[in-house]
Amino acid sequence: MKGALCIAQIAATDPTPVDAILSQLGPGPFELVCLFVSPDADFTTLTQAASGRFGDADVMACTTAGELGRDGYEDGQIIAVAFPSSLFAVRSYVVDGLDSFDEQQLIDRLIQSRLELSRRAPDMPAEFAFLMVDGLSLREEHLTTVLASGLGPMPLFGGSSGDGTDFHATYLSHNGRVRQNAALIAMVRSRCPVRVFSLDHLVPTETRMVVTSADPDARIVHEINAEPAAAEYARLLGKDPNQLDPFTFAAHPVVVRLGDTHHVRAIQRVNEDGHLVFFSAINEGMVLTLAKHNDIAEHLREGLAGLAQSGRPRQILGCDCILRRIEAGQSQKTREISAILRDNNLVGFSTYGEQIGALHVNQTLTGVAIYPPEDEAL
Amino acid sequence: MSLINPSDSLERQNEKLIKITEALMRRVEYGTAQSGAAYAQFERAALLERRVRERTLELERTLDLLHESNAQLALANQETEAARRNLADAIETVSEGFALFDGDDDLVMCNSRFCRDFRDTTRDLRPGLAFEGYVERISRSRYLALPEGVTPEAWAEQRIRRHKDRRVMFNVQLAHDRWLQVSEHRTANGGTVVLQTDVTDIIRLERQERTRLKDKQARMIRATLDHLNQGVAIFDENARLVGWNAKIGTLLSIPARRLHIGASFQSLLDQLGDDFDFTRGIDRAGFGHWARSEGPRDPISFEVRHGGIQTLQIFGRGMPDRGFVISCTDVTAEREAAAKLYEMNEILEQRVMERTLELEDALSAAERANASKSRFVAAASHDLLQPLSAAKLFISSLSDRLVDDSDAAVLAKAESALTSAEQLIDALLDISKLESDALRFDVRPVALAEILGPLRDEMGMLAAAKGLSLRIVESTLTVETDPAYLRRIVQNLMANAIRYTTRGRVVVGVRRNGGSARIEVWDTGPGIAEADQGTIFEEFKRLDTRASSNDGLGLGLAIVERACARLGHPLGLWSEPGRGSCFMVNVPVAHAETPATPPRARSARPKGLAQAGMIVLLVENDAQLRRAISILVESWGVNVIEAEDAETALQLLADLEIAPDAMLLDHQLGRGMTGVELYEVITGMLGPLPCAVISADRSPHLRQLCKGVGLDLLQKPLDRHKLIQFLDMVAAADPG
Repeated sequence: MKGALCIAQIAATDPTPVDAILSQLGPGPFELVCLFVSPDADFTTLTQAASGRFGDADVMACTTAGELGRDGYEDGQIIAVAFPSSLFAVRSYVVDGLDSFDEQQLIDRLIQSRLELSRRAPDMPAEFAFLMVDGLSLREEHLTTVLASGLGPMPLFGGSSGDGTDFHATYLSHNGRVRQNAALIAMVRSRCPVRVFSLDHLVPTETRMVVTSADPDARIVHEINAEPAAAEYARLLGKDPNQLDPFTFAAHPVVVRLGDTHHVRAIQRVNEDGHLVFFSAINEGMVLTLAKHNDIAEHLREGLAGLAQSGRPRQILGCDCILRRIEAGQSQKTREISAILRDNNLVGFSTYGEQIGALHVNQTLTGVAIYPPEDEAL
Repeated sequence: MSLINPSDSLERQNEKLIKITEALMRRVEYGTAQSGAAYAQFERAALLERRVRERTLELERTLDLLHESNAQLALANQETEAARRNLADAIETVSEGFALFDGDDDLVMCNSRFCRDFRDTTRDLRPGLAFEGYVERISRSRYLALPEGVTPEAWAEQRIRRHKDRRVMFNVQLAHDRWLQVSEHRTANGGTVVLQTDVTDIIRLERQERTRLKDKQARMIRATLDHLNQGVAIFDENARLVGWNAKIGTLLSIPARRLHIGASFQSLLDQLGDDFDFTRGIDRAGFGHWARSEGPRDPISFEVRHGGIQTLQIFGRGMPDRGFVISCTDVTAEREAAAKLYEMNEILEQRVMERTLELEDALSAAERANASKSRFVAAASHDLLQPLSAAKLFISSLSDRLVDDSDAAVLAKAESALTSAEQLIDALLDISKLESDALRFDVRPVALAEILGPLRDEMGMLAAAKGLSLRIVESTLTVETDPAYLRRIVQNLMANAIRYTTRGRVVVGVRRNGGSARIEVWDTGPGIAEADQGTIFEEFKRLDTRASSNDGLGLGLAIVERACARLGHPLGLWSEPGRGSCFMVNVPVAHAETPATPPRARSARPKGLAQAGMIVLLVENDAQLRRAISILVESWGVNVIEAEDAETALQLLADLEIAPDAMLLDHQLGRGMTGVELYEVITGMLGPLPCAVISADRSPHLRQLCKGVGLDLLQKPLDRHKLIQFLDMVAAADPG
C-alpha cells in the first residue's frame, strides 16, 4: 500500500547510508526528513552527510533507544521518515539550551511560524507538531509547557532521544549541526487527516506511597514513606531491594493520580545511595500509586484498532517508551507486538519519555496516525 | 501493602507517619507555590491542559479576526488615501479655482488656481480656514477692486450675506480691469463648493459687443428712416431737430442746408411758404402751438395742400423724452382716388334707386294681378252661391205654400238639385284652394272628439235617411293637424261611405298606431276592385254608375287625396269587392297633452258658430271688401246676405222676409243713408238686432255716435279677431 510518508530503513553499519536512504525514499521533493538513528551508527558523520542531500528539505535527527522499523521492534537501524511536499507543509525549529532559553521569544516565534505556515498551506487543514527532545536534559516538562503556549491548538507529540539502555548521552541534529540539551520541533500541516494519540496500558492499584524527601530538579526521590526510596519501593513490591533493575521498573510502574486521570512516573534506575532516579518530574509530598498492567499486546491491538475505527491510517509515526519494549521482552511478547506494529505500518523509535500536549509522560506509545487524503480515492 | 511497614516498632511507625504527614502538608501548602519546579509545571499542565487549549483556540480566533480587521483597516486607509489623492488630482484638473468647505464652513481642500489672483491671500489658504476668514482676507486683498465708497468690512459683510443664500453667483472686479465670476454650490452634506472663473475676456467682449451694437442700431435707424416712403423729422424736448430723412425735405420743399441738427422747429415751420394751405384739422398757428407745448402731447393729424395740387398728410406724436416726431405722407393720389370713388358712388346709387322703383312697379303689378285672380275665384264662387242660396230660400218658402204632393215632390227635387250644385261649387273651391301655392294650413293640436262629435249629428241624419246604421267610436286622442281640413277629409270619407253603401252599416274608429292616430272609416258597401283602387281618387270618377247624379260628382275623394297629401297625412285603402271598404288616414298624435283650447284667437272659432246657422246682413259699398268679408264670414259657417247700400239692403230684407241674426254695416255707404242711420231704420222695422259698424273713420265723432246708439265699432282695415269676437257674442246670446 502506498504510504503518505516515505520510509527508508538501513542498517546502522551501512557504509553509504545517505545514498541508500536516498534511493529508498525516491525523488521527493520533501518538506522534511527525520532520521531515527541507532546509537550504533556514527551520528555526527551521518547527519552531516545527509544535510542538503534532500533538496530543500530540513533534516532532523536523533539517537534512539531502539527503532520501530519494518519488522516492529528493531535495533541497529537507521530509520528515515520523509514528508513529501505534495501532502505536507513543514516548518522546523530548533530550541537550544533547554535550561536557559527565552520562553517568551520562543512562544512568539512559534505563533508567527504557525500563522505563516497556515497561510502558506491553506489547502492543508490537518496539523500537528512533532518534537524530538534530548532524553537526558531533565527539562521536558518545562519545554512542553512553554511549547503548549506557543502552539495553541496545534496538537503536539514527541519523544525523548535515547541512548540504548545506557543512559549516557543522547544527540540531536538539525541540518547537520549536532546538538545536546536541545529540542527540535517540526510544525506540520497536511492534506491528510491526522490524529495524535497516546496509549498506556497501566491500571492504578490501591497501594500508595508518599514521597517524603526528594530532589525534584534531578528527578531523584530520596525517601518514600520516610524510608529510603528503593528499599521502601522494594518492600511494597515484596522484593529484595538489591534485586531492583529496569525489568522490575517496567513491570511495576508507579503513577500519579491527578483528577480522574493518571500519569506514569517511570523509574529509570536505583542510584548508589539507594535513591530512585525517575524519567519525569517528581516532588516531595506527592503520592505515588503502584500500577499493574493489562496485557500489553492485547491493549496495543485494541488501541490501534480504535485509531482505525473510521478508516485505516496509512501510517503511524510513533514514540514508544523503552520500558514498554523491556516489558514486552520480559513477558515474551516482543514478536507479537512487533507483528502488530508492522501490521499497522507504525514507524518511529524507542524513547526515554514521550510528550503529549503540554505533558511529559512515560511508559506510553504516543504518536500520530496519518490517514489518506479525503480527496484521494481509497 | 500498607503505607507503613507493620514490622517496625510503634515509635518508628509513629515517627514515619509524622514525617509522611509533614511531607504531605508541605506539599499541600507550598506545592503550587514552587511554580518553577518541573513537577508543578507538569501538574498544572495536566490539570489545565484542556482549558488552556480551548482558551488558546479562542485567542487564536481573536487574533485572526484582529489580523483580518487590521488588514481591512489598512485597505480602507489605502482606499481613503487613494480617494483623497484622486479628488485632489481631479480638482487640480478643473480649470477654475475650486475650494471645498465642509458643513462647519471650514476649508477642506482647494486647488492651486483658487484665489490665484489674490496673491497676498494664498499663503493663508490651508485646510481648516473658516469661510469668514477666507472672505475677510479677500476683502483686504490689494488685488480686489472694491466698488466706490465700499469699505472692505462692508464688502465682506455683503459677501457673507450672499453666502447664506442657497445659490450664489456674482462677478467680482479685480485690479487692472480683471473680472472673476464666483459661484457657490451646496453639497449634499451641507458643505459648500466655491468656484472662481476668470471671466475677464467675456466681460471685455461683452463691452465691445455693446458698443458695436449701439453703432449698429444707429445705422439701422438711419437706414430705416431713409427707406421710409414718408418724410420723418425727430425733434428733442427743446423742439430742436435731431433726426430726419431726405424725404421730408423733398415733400416740404425745405432746402437741405436748413435741415441740420439743432435747427429749431419754429424756423422750419416759418420756412414753409404761403403755398402750403392747412386744409383739414389744424392751422399753422395751432401746429406751432402743439410743438411748443410743455408736457405730454396728444397725437395730431392734419392735411396740407401744397401749390393747390399736392395733398400731404402730417402726423405728429410726442415721445417719452418730451421730444416729438413729425411724419409727412404724400396722399395726393389717394385723395383724388377717393374723390373719384365718391362720384362713382353717387352715380351707382342713382341707378340703384331707378332700378328699385322699376322693380317696385313690377311687384305691385304682380300683386295686383294675383289679387285680382284671388278676387275672381272668390267672386265667382260667391256670385254663383249667392243666387243659389237665394233660390233655396225661395224654394223653402214656396214649399210651405204647396199642398199638391206631386208639386211638392218636384220642388224637393229642385231643392236637391240646387244643393248638389252648391256642394259642387264648394268642392271646386276647395280643390282650387288645395292646388294653390298660397294655401296656408293652420296646424295645431286638435282633439279628435272635436272633429268627430259634430259629424255624428250631420252624418247620422244622412245615414238614417238611407236606412244605414252609423257608429262613431269615441276617441280621446289629440292630433296635430289643420282642424278644418281634417274635418273635411273625414266628412267626405263618411259621406262617400254612406253614399255607396246600400245596406249594412258605416263604422268610424280611431286606432293609435305608434306616433300617429289612424282614423278608419268602414263600410259594408260593394267594395273596390284592386285594379280600380288607383283611380278612385281622380276627379269626377264614380265607380257605381247606377248612383244618382244627385249623389255628387265624385269630387269628395279627390279633395281627400289632395288635402291628405298637402297635410302629410298618409292615406290608406283596404277593400274587397262584395264585402266592403275601409279608408284610413294617419294623423300624427300631438306630442304634449295640450289643452283643447286653441292658443290663439286667430284659430278661435267657437264650436257653436258653425252650428248656429246664423244669417248676417252685410252692407258695404266697396264691392271687393264686401266679397272679402262675406267669404271670410261664410268660411266660419255663417250665412251672409249682402247689399251694396242701404236702399238695396232694405229691398233685400223685404224680398227675403227674414230678419238677420246680426248686421255688419259700413258707415259710409256713398249716397243715401249712413250705416248708423240704416241701423236705426232696420231696428225700427224688425226690432233690436246685434250690429257692428265698420268704418275707416277714426274720428271721435263716429265713436261717440256708435256709443250713443250702443253699436260696436270695427275699425278698417277689419280685424278678423274682433269680427269673430262679435259674431261669437251674438251666437252665444242667441243660440236659436
